[in-house]
Amino acid sequence: MKLITLTASAALLAATAPAVAADMTGKEVFERHCVHCHGPGNEATGTLQLARTRGEDKALLTERDDLPAVYIQMIVRQGLKAMPAFVPSDLTDAQLQALTDYLTQ
Amino acid sequence: MAEPLPPGVSADRMAETLERFRQIVGKEWVFAGEQAASYHDPYPISNDDARYRAHAAVAPASVEQVQEIVKAANAFGVPLWPVSRGKNFAYGGAAPVLSGSIVLDMSRMNRILEVNEKFGYALVEPGVSYFDLYNYLQANDLKLWLDVPDPGWGSVMGNALDHGVGYTPYGDHFMMQCGMEVVLASGDVVRTGMGAMPGNNTWQLFKYGFGPYVDGIFSQSNFGVVTKMGIWLMPEPAGYRPYMITFQREEDIAEVIEILRPLRLNNVIQNAATIRSLVLDAAISSTRSQYYSGTGPIPDSVARKIMADQDIGMWNFCGALYGPPPITDALWSVIRDAFAKVPGAKFYFPEDRKRRPDILIHRAETMRGIPKLTEFNFLNWAGGGGHIGFSPVSPTTGTDALKQYRMVSGRVREFGFDYMGLLAIGFRELHHVTVIVYDKTNPDERRRLDECFNLLVKEAAAEGYGEYRTHIQYMDAIAGTYKWNDNALLKMQQTIKDALDPKGILAPGKSGIWPKHLRDGKQS
Repeated sequence: MKLITLTASAALLAATAPAVAADMTGKEVFERHCVHCHGPGNEATGTLQLARTRGEDKALLTERDDLPAVYIQMIVRQGLKAMPAFVPSDLTDAQLQALTDYLTQ
Repeated sequence: MAEPLPPGVSADRMAETLERFRQIVGKEWVFAGEQAASYHDPYPISNDDARYRAHAAVAPASVEQVQEIVKAANAFGVPLWPVSRGKNFAYGGAAPVLSGSIVLDMSRMNRILEVNEKFGYALVEPGVSYFDLYNYLQANDLKLWLDVPDPGWGSVMGNALDHGVGYTPYGDHFMMQCGMEVVLASGDVVRTGMGAMPGNNTWQLFKYGFGPYVDGIFSQSNFGVVTKMGIWLMPEPAGYRPYMITFQREEDIAEVIEILRPLRLNNVIQNAATIRSLVLDAAISSTRSQYYSGTGPIPDSVARKIMADQDIGMWNFCGALYGPPPITDALWSVIRDAFAKVPGAKFYFPEDRKRRPDILIHRAETMRGIPKLTEFNFLNWAGGGGHIGFSPVSPTTGTDALKQYRMVSGRVREFGFDYMGLLAIGFRELHHVTVIVYDKTNPDERRRLDECFNLLVKEAAAEGYGEYRTHIQYMDAIAGTYKWNDNALLKMQQTIKDALDPKGILAPGKSGIWPKHLRDGKQS
């Protein structure tokens, strides 16, 4: 019985909301789109590669203070080497601005 | 460079089309000019930048908008290239086969319409990613597991439609698909299976409905735009125990596959398990330059050093046991005893692995349906970031596995690439997926890769091996290998194409299927 109730409520909740909220903070954008490759930990592709190529002190994007906003936006939209571009339907211009603000604050 | 126009479409007509699309979806959801750049193939192979290049993209938010878009595309004669989330990166990403096409970007349609815990399924729109669905299950404490491919940011629907595979007992994603909603090129909307019956409540429970089963013709195809899809989800098992078995010699693959076949066919090996080659696994946690600074493929001495450093084998078999401990204990004893016959075989559970990152620790998560992006580490193996998959299918026999391994590894090494292969084990066949990692910034390397890939396709076909999936650049070549009885299958697909999409506006060239006016080399 519990399962049936849970199923029904879950279905209702799902049917009324998209998987992604339209308004996201820069931190939320980072956690949705970036953290899997650029977060901490020993499996994050971007973090590992930046550590190899730029040094450990430049491995984590959230700890960088040398990334110009225009550079971040260009890389997100055009990609860089292994990193593919992010399309504007999935990561909107407004979300990209919020992300940029978050990373450059 | 200016974005290309499709054959026979003037700049004025394209501008009119885009204006109509803006009226349908809102001007902020049509992306042209510089905004179209993010739809290019991130890992191109061709050195001709004008090929495989979209003119623009349009992103609808509803089925009704999709209907209006395809009607407008028909009216203006402009081709669309539908993508779910456009993350099919080893196979072209969001880029079209036909340059000048407009990407029909479905990623805004990202609702999880239903998750049913009692029966174990979800009904999703194209924009729902594995991360989205996983987060939803976690947030609602639903006791269901996903089956994920390696990159978790891709579309649940898109991966199934492209015949993607994962790592749990639900690893054949299209097998687990149940019920679709499709917008046809005419703008009509069709629901398949039980969904065709008004008031029916088994759309996601029974695949076949009544009459011909049609869902398959919308996979790897250009016959319609899928807007909803049911996907079966695995009930959380009572227990879970991942393991890894390593093998020391290249030629062991023959014996390993012979041992594995009856175990898989009888469900002793329960999941869609994989056997992966040394370099592919090493590339998850290291780079080539850490071990070798020479050119060409790594020599055997380096391979042995990597094996010793990372405590992995020339082949590494990751599997998992699912169910109550008495059952998994019994299954493990059978599996262990069977593979112990291979000289040098080593057996591991996660607690045996101390190095980080580690392939079994990583795979233990994917084999329980946790979406990740860890696999992208292998793109950095040689620098340059490009990759493509060559994916022929063979019977699950030792003879075929060894033959394929020697054919493919020999060729890729001859062309200067390291062999990075995996064998994804189905019930009766194996996908031999060889990832070729290349420097996408190096035109000469791209040319060599193209030459190598065309040879691989040709040589595999000569031995009766066909690819199950491919990059946009090789769709014609591979469709051409499925040519029995004077190309009877392709002719039938073309007949269906002409009937459902007479103006050929949906994904021209997808899987080698071209509309009538673009056949016989008339694509440019």
